[in-house]
Amino acid sequence: MTPVTNAHADAEAPRTEIDTPFGRFLVAPHERVRFPSGIPGFEDCREFVLLSPGDLGALSCLQSLAGPPASFLVVDPRHVLPQYRCALGTTDLMRLGAGADTLLLWLAIVSTDEAGRAYANLRAPIVINPERMLGYQVVPHNSLYPLRQPLASD
Amino acid sequence: MLVFTRKRDETIMIGDGIEVRVLRIGREGVRLGVTAPAEVPVHRREVYDLIRDENRRAAETTRPAQALAAVRARPMRSGGRGD
Repeated sequence: MTPVTNAHADAEAPRTEIDTPFGRFLVAPHERVRFPSGIPGFEDCREFVLLSPGDLGALSCLQSLAGPPASFLVVDPRHVLPQYRCALGTTDLMRLGAGADTLLLWLAIVSTDEAGRAYANLRAPIVINPERMLGYQVVPHNSLYPLRQPLASD
Repeated sequence: MLVFTRKRDETIMIGDGIEVRVLRIGREGVRLGVTAPAEVPVHRREVYDLIRDENRRAAETTRPAQALAAVRARPMRSGGRGD
């Protein structure tokens, strides 16, 4: 991810310009994350990029690059719940091309309600294997974590 | 819709690599075993729908101003890093 203001600095990599709710970004090929089956509700979004503009603080933006334009705010689940743990099965790991020791990137999708309160979806986290740039959303049937965990800590 | 009658331990094949087997037939429900390649996601429909709806809601409500205002008004925890 590079701010557009640096666009003239690097002419080598064929970067794509994308518009997001947070401004315009240039995305290099190696920054693209493949989601082979999309995510539920956005099955045709097979490629995303993770953008972290400074003004989002602890939040990042998961922006679709292929398929319909979709944009999600995401947060590290442990930022919301420090003791957060989610175990992946062998099928999950295989799907990510990951081994048991692979360091994975975990993201919880953020939503807001009519009253403007923000929530993180801790039940169905997005998992990305940075080594393979492969991602998918875990759809667990027996998670105890809430679909809407309030983002605020009281 | 293709409709089958299957007994216990009988299966149906879908395409090359997907097999659905009837493991047990009980009063409360039918227990099925699904064998599918890793790249084919298999979900309980109602769980998938719940998460799909939540994703759609999140995509609609990520108006940055609204979400950021909500987060900034009630700051998040800062603990839990690096453990």
